[in-house]
Amino acid sequence: MAAPRRILALGGHEFSSRPPDRAVCELILKLATERAGGRPKICILPTASGDTSDLIAGFYSAFGERPCDPSDLSLFRLGRRPMALRDHLLAQDLVYVGGGSLVNLLAVWDAHEIGAILSLAWRQGIVLAGQSAGAMCWFEAGITKSSGKPLAAAGLGLLEGSLCVHYNNEPERRAAYLEAVGDGMPGGYGLDDYAGLIWEGTSAPSAVTARRGARAYRVVAREGEASEAPIPARFLPAPAPAALREDIAEYRRLTSMRKRAGWLG
Amino acid sequence: MESGNPLLDDYVLGLTGAKRPRVCFLPSASGDADHYIVRFYRAFPADRCEASHISLFRREQGPEDLREHLLSQDLIYVGGGSVVSLLGVWRAHGIDEILREAWESGVILCGLSAGSLCWFSEAVTGFHGAPKRVEGLGLLPFSNCVHYEPRSSRRLAYHEFLREGMAPGYAAEDGAALHFTGTELTRVIASRSEARGYRLDPMGERVVEMRIATTYLGDPEASASIPLPEALSTAVAA
Repeated sequence: MAAPRRILALGGHEFSSRPPDRAVCELILKLATERAGGRPKICILPTASGDTSDLIAGFYSAFGERPCDPSDLSLFRLGRRPMALRDHLLAQDLVYVGGGSLVNLLAVWDAHEIGAILSLAWRQGIVLAGQSAGAMCWFEAGITKSSGKPLAAAGLGLLEGSLCVHYNNEPERRAAYLEAVGDGMPGGYGLDDYAGLIWEGTSAPSAVTARRGARAYRVVAREGEASEAPIPARFLPAPAPAALREDIAEYRRLTSMRKRAGWLG
Repeated sequence: MESGNPLLDDYVLGLTGAKRPRVCFLPSASGDADHYIVRFYRAFPADRCEASHISLFRREQGPEDLREHLLSQDLIYVGGGSVVSLLGVWRAHGIDEILREAWESGVILCGLSAGSLCWFSEAVTGFHGAPKRVEGLGLLPFSNCVHYEPRSSRRLAYHEFLREGMAPGYAAEDGAALHFTGTELTRVIASRSEARGYRLDPMGERVVEMRIATTYLGDPEASASIPLPEALSTAVAA
């Protein structure tokens, strides 16, 4: 029996300790754990950001203390830390792709032949996930600001149609998307920050939302005009924050006391 | 941008002939790493030049018209990192075409490591795993190898590639720099007294490796008008 092909596309989130971010990370962990049937391996591909330390640190702070084995595959840092790209990626339960420049993401992946590996990973049932550029990359096309202004750019095309992210936050991106779809770009989906879509096998995706009011939209062209329809979404509650270690909590209390007393800058 | 050694930076700034040259840094090969951009601005301070950088991962910042910005420079400095990623990102943004145009219009192009390999028709990259052949922009119709140390795997791989048909070319040890005018090697200069450049030619099953006399820029006698000296030695590697 073929493994179900699963993709989680997210409109936008961070790796902070705020409730909606915790809810998104909980969903990522859940999908990875389902695939593993035990403790999952989760790898971040931060390529679209140029492998920034901030993103990688955020990922480890979100998953480092959770029941999983997190890793990062930083193509720009392979010089100092060589890795077997194919073996590492195909050993994962979930591959998470970070945001940034969609155009650069695809160009660098192409240069390192990552696209074919991810396509194989997907067919083997490894969950593919990501936000922003890391969500649009799975589609035939997305709307990217890789060159400054919002423009259409190609993705890997594992999923049919197109995706536009940060739908609520960036009206100019949304407008560019609606215009492109009206002009003949394949239709698809719009995702607000903290909204997501999950594909399982070939059935229609189901929508999730980690913040009240954040929505996923179906976007189709009708007679040269794009139209949007919200997709009913399941709300993802935030898990309780991880308990702070007692010594760290004490240190933070002390620091904030000092700050109030003007002892620290 | 050698740490604590400004000799090569001074040399490239001097080549521009401008009092306060316009210098643009392209850190693409590093993924536009912040620490590298900071290092560039430290090495090329405002009192010596008008410095800028282009971050292709953050196009919403920086100049909007890449072509206009790059063509208006006196010097374009390309940083090190992954040459494979560098060329991929450049092609996606049309930088490869712009740099050719800049070169043809007289903008000085320079760079270290991946920022050297990229100008040649072929190069040896040792960034990740075993050294590999990679096709560059081809402004210079030669092959290139950097970090060319006597017992390095890059050197052995380069010789192997030459025997397999790679174009003849040039190699540089750390601290050595190859200065081309048009497609002619003008001179080899170095920021370290012992660093050298090499010319490599395949000869059937053999590779002729010729050490090129190199001007150490720290020598007070060194002047900008020294012609390229004769080759000092020839070694034949089996």
